[in-house]
Amino acid sequence: MKVETKLFAYLCVFFAVLTLIYGFWSKWEEPIGTTALLLTMLLFLLTGFYLYVTGKALPLRPEDNITGEIDEGEGNYGYFVASSWTPLWLALAGAVMFTGLAVGWWLFIIGAFLGAVALVLWVFESFSGEYSI
Amino acid sequence: MVAVGTIVWLSSELMFFAGVFAVYFQLRSVRADLWAEQTAKLNVTFAAINATVLVISSVWCQLGVWKAERGQKARTGSLLDLKSWGMREWYVLTYLFGAFFIAGQVMEYAELTHENVTLSSDAYGSIFYMATGLHGIHVTGGLIAFLLIIARTFTTKRYTHANATGAVVTSYYWHFVDVVWIALFITIYILK
Repeated sequence: MKVETKLFAYLCVFFAVLTLIYGFWSKWEEPIGTTALLLTMLLFLLTGFYLYVTGKALPLRPEDNITGEIDEGEGNYGYFVASSWTPLWLALAGAVMFTGLAVGWWLFIIGAFLGAVALVLWVFESFSGEYSI
Repeated sequence: MVAVGTIVWLSSELMFFAGVFAVYFQLRSVRADLWAEQTAKLNVTFAAINATVLVISSVWCQLGVWKAERGQKARTGSLLDLKSWGMREWYVLTYLFGAFFIAGQVMEYAELTHENVTLSSDAYGSIFYMATGLHGIHVTGGLIAFLLIIARTFTTKRYTHANATGAVVTSYYWHFVDVVWIALFITIYILK
């Protein structure tokens, strides 16, 4: 994953330099932009660091090999639920909760109960019963 | 897939907290007088102990992750035999430390409210409760996630790779929230 890591590492360095330029230009008296730029740098650092660590832990992928072939990339990519209604219930419960913020707390509490049920259904959908993964 | 998605989401969370930090520094730069008056009311020792508890909980979480990666979901020996602990026991311990932190936050809020620092009292109160409160909600969300992940170890017959991934990404989130608190702690309690 060298290319991915480099992409984020370069952007991290870019924003580090930008933070310094911005800071000196504004004499470190303008906190909003400085904070935003510094944390943008950290955003790229976080993702870049993760890609670096993952890249070191995994064997070389076909994408990393200059003479790689398409069929080398076959195999399992992960587990994907075929179809599921539970995200819809969770989203509807969220909608009821946010409507509750505008209408009244009684509606929010009802939404929170629905949300708790939907969340449990979603989390355990693939992790319980006969066909759990 | 799940792990990459979590990291991308966490980097967007970083920008969410960037907004909070920016508001804090901006308000502080325009109301230095208010800051001098209100930060004197903070109980730094208490907050430092509370922060230490949260940092230690991250260590227990990581010990649980190493067990999860080896596929050991529960302890193999007695409860007192720490070496035989599985992911479940370490995550329960992490949960307890996290819950202690939240309880400490509630106590601190009660104390500050007595000293007339509230969400609507002034600019300092607003951003203090916004910053620590939004972080507190994240910790509470993490605690709920821990309960769900621990419950999953009971509902599946085998401890599969998918189970372990769930435990690992929850730890990413927990470490993230922990690091954000270190930054918030330095900003609010040490830099003032």
